[in-house]
Amino acid sequence: MKKDIYHPPGGILIWVIIFVEIITFSMGILAYSYMRSKNVELFNSSQMTLEKGLATINTIVLLTGGFLMAMGIQDLKKGLNKQSARWILGAILTGILFLIIKGSEYGIKLEHGHDLRENLFFTYYWLLTAFHFIHVFVAVVILTALYFSVKKGKYTSENYFDVETGGAFWHMCDLIWLMLFPVLYLLH
Amino acid sequence: MTNEKKKNTITWIALVLLTILSWKFSESLSGKMGLMVVILASITKFFGVSLQFLELKKAHSFWKFGLLGFLVIFYFLVFLFFS
Repeated sequence: MKKDIYHPPGGILIWVIIFVEIITFSMGILAYSYMRSKNVELFNSSQMTLEKGLATINTIVLLTGGFLMAMGIQDLKKGLNKQSARWILGAILTGILFLIIKGSEYGIKLEHGHDLRENLFFTYYWLLTAFHFIHVFVAVVILTALYFSVKKGKYTSENYFDVETGGAFWHMCDLIWLMLFPVLYLLH
Repeated sequence: MTNEKKKNTITWIALVLLTILSWKFSESLSGKMGLMVVILASITKFFGVSLQFLELKKAHSFWKFGLLGFLVIFYFLVFLFFS
């Protein structure tokens, strides 16, 4: 493949979106890190209430979704639509599983009264993870539309640009989570 | 299995292992050592997903170094704020 600056995999528009999204989330995470450095005790004690195990499982779920989507695109490039659709369906299911696990984590937080207004830590926690949650939801919708199109044979080994673009959006959700997960859950 | 699919599979296994290891290390290691291990694992995972799954390796250097360079600066700042 020719390495053209104007034609990255998935198209230039999705790459501009990926950059903007990653920079935006980075600013939020850095603001969190800065505020934490001013309130270490509050942030550490609040962080202790988070479900690290659930978040680790969710990270593995998202990474698995990224793997399944990458495999789906590989099969589509070879014209194997049926197999490709199967991989994409797997990626959709991991997305749904991520949303269910995250939803249950939110339920636990609310049950214990850890809402957006409890303290500064939880304000950041809710804003950062909820924006990411919305991105995963949108990605699941995009992948579902692509799944039916791939299954119907709308995309072929010669025409898979849209699937690559949708896949790039899906991987972007992975990347954002890979930035959020260590800072919110692991680093202390 | 094609070469690209093999690479995807190896990358996925490595990413899962790194995720579990960074979780375990975050609980057992403290101080700057723990911080360094978790951040290095996160950078490696980000590189794995972007280069292999997102096929950044096939993109022009502008996108490659732009994204990965930004990530390194980001984690350097996180390290400074946490240490």
